[in-house]
Amino acid sequence: MMICMQKKLLPLLLLLMLVGIAGVAPAANPGMGDVAERIAPVGRIQLAGQPPLEDESEAAAQDTEKVEAKAAPRPTRSDYPDIGISSRAIVWVLAQLHLFFGALVLAVPLFVLIIELVGLISGDERYDDMAHEFMKISLTGFSITAIFGGSLTLALFLLYPDFMSYMMSVFGAQLLVYASLFFFETFFLYTYYYGWNAFRYGNLKWVHLSLGLMLNASGLTIMVLANSWATFMMAPSGVNEVGAVVGNIWEVMKGPLWNPINLHRFIANIAFGGAVVGAYAAFKFLSSSDPQQRAHYDWMGYTSNFIAILAFLPLPFAGYWLMAEIYAYSQQMGITAMGGILAWLFILQAVLIGTILLAGNFYLWAGMSRTDGSVRYKWLVKYIALILVVTFLIWITPHTLMLSASEISQLGGTHHSILGPLGIMPAKNVAVNLMLIVTFLSFQLYRRSDKVATVRWAPAGNALMVAIYVVAIVNIIFLGVYYGYFTNTVYKVGSSVAQVVSTLVVIISGIVIDTLMFRNAKTLPSHWGRISDRAQYALFALPIAFTWLMGLMGYVRSSVKTHWHVYTVMKDNSPDNYIPTIAYAGNMITLVTVLFLLCLLFMFWVANLSGSRQPKPAALGEGA
Amino acid sequence: MEKHPKMGIYSTLLSVVIAFVVVLVFFYGLNHLIMGMQGLPLNLDLTPAG
Repeated sequence: MMICMQKKLLPLLLLLMLVGIAGVAPAANPGMGDVAERIAPVGRIQLAGQPPLEDESEAAAQDTEKVEAKAAPRPTRSDYPDIGISSRAIVWVLAQLHLFFGALVLAVPLFVLIIELVGLISGDERYDDMAHEFMKISLTGFSITAIFGGSLTLALFLLYPDFMSYMMSVFGAQLLVYASLFFFETFFLYTYYYGWNAFRYGNLKWVHLSLGLMLNASGLTIMVLANSWATFMMAPSGVNEVGAVVGNIWEVMKGPLWNPINLHRFIANIAFGGAVVGAYAAFKFLSSSDPQQRAHYDWMGYTSNFIAILAFLPLPFAGYWLMAEIYAYSQQMGITAMGGILAWLFILQAVLIGTILLAGNFYLWAGMSRTDGSVRYKWLVKYIALILVVTFLIWITPHTLMLSASEISQLGGTHHSILGPLGIMPAKNVAVNLMLIVTFLSFQLYRRSDKVATVRWAPAGNALMVAIYVVAIVNIIFLGVYYGYFTNTVYKVGSSVAQVVSTLVVIISGIVIDTLMFRNAKTLPSHWGRISDRAQYALFALPIAFTWLMGLMGYVRSSVKTHWHVYTVMKDNSPDNYIPTIAYAGNMITLVTVLFLLCLLFMFWVANLSGSRQPKPAALGEGA
Repeated sequence: MEKHPKMGIYSTLLSVVIAFVVVLVFFYGLNHLIMGMQGLPLNLDLTPAG
């Protein structure tokens, strides 16, 4: 029966793939010519003493006009409409709110699909119910995303008409593919959500999972298409030095920063989505007095935190790849980000990431009280906390200090003798990697709390795990200190890759060893709902810090273009073509974060509203 | 709480020593491999060979 159903689904999937390919194929080749044609000279030079090229001059002039016609526009200040409010501020708020909600509604169906699959495989319906509830929370988010997306588009066309005209000419039919994907996404969203109980068991469940898969495929394609616009603005490809399109749409899209951004946003969205639904679970946990409900929302909060932290662990590495590619593309751009005015924002980033890791760890430690078996590991918590705090302090140490003239003279320079060395990347790399390792340790201890291994080789497995932790930590410190401070820069940069690999070895080996060692393990009872209210506030801290962090780093990513709409190709001549002060940027990011949180409260309220029913007024009925 | 099969002090010590030796060798090789792949060879004592 299942095979029969899969056979029925296969043509449907093939049809959808064909539709997708047919939609993309025409857009892939607009104006694409032969390579030789594209690199052919646009004019000819008359050499001294040679006869004039009269026959060619007209054709050359036409070619030149053709290139001029396709070049990026050069708007003057008067070409930007003035509506009395900063155009950048309007677009900033709308774009960031659109991105926040877009990230949320792309991420939630991803892990909902996995949770649903886990429910199907394990046969535990609680997973299914929880996945359904996650979808319910995010449903309003789709509409809000569309509202902000539409508003952003209108604002861009109104306030930056030349820039939008150029982007339309570069991306052409790809924009129609983007728009058509919304129809697919909407179709799959509504059938997936409203068909949840109709397609709940047996083969119909596989139909439902396929709908979820297609929903995610549509959503992710939308994301990578939109990413190509942002990365084109940062590192244009497929165009010549004046912005004329010389490549096909694939060459335009596949710039050097496209895949790093795709990966970074994909992972970050999952972490962000997990954090947001965790806040919903915490809100429901705190507002309920029913033990069963509290147990349910405690479990939901734990699952959300699990998703957020697990997705968060590899995120710094994706960010590192992105920055490495930015430096490789344009060293100037990299220095603007990490060595110029924007460098201070990376200190704020460290504060926020530290907040996320401290909150995530605290929630895991508090959650260990759910099971009596956790007493075996609780003694380790204080050491983990110590490492977290020390590494956090190292990470937030700036390289230079904001000092008055008298302070500089007292200090003998802007670099403090002790703090200066801690302000550079080798120290930060050590700190970040150690923070991630001890966070994984918290996570591993939590997972072990309710289990007792029964395999004979458990002591040897534990010895191996301890050895991996100790040697990896020593190796990371050695790599950071020796190559970072005592060798040349090339080795300093190269050793950071070995540090990242060391951290990944800990995480991967930890997962593998625990999976094998706790197979058929004795399970100790877990008391869901037995967690302090205080721990729930950690779940509130996570989405706030995540939102602020996304706003902050999104601003950095966008600002590295400095005074360009499209870097080196189309100049920004609007009144806002400068990097604002840190204070202004901080205020804007805070404003957007607060607006997002208010919208989020509305979303939670609507999700809550759908489950409540007003009782029939008895007095009125009797009176009649 | 169920206990693991008891191991003697010597066998426990031995498994810990073996684990540390294996992991040390692994990370030593890993450093050479990762740095070498980036065109940054190391000497046997892990100093830069370039």
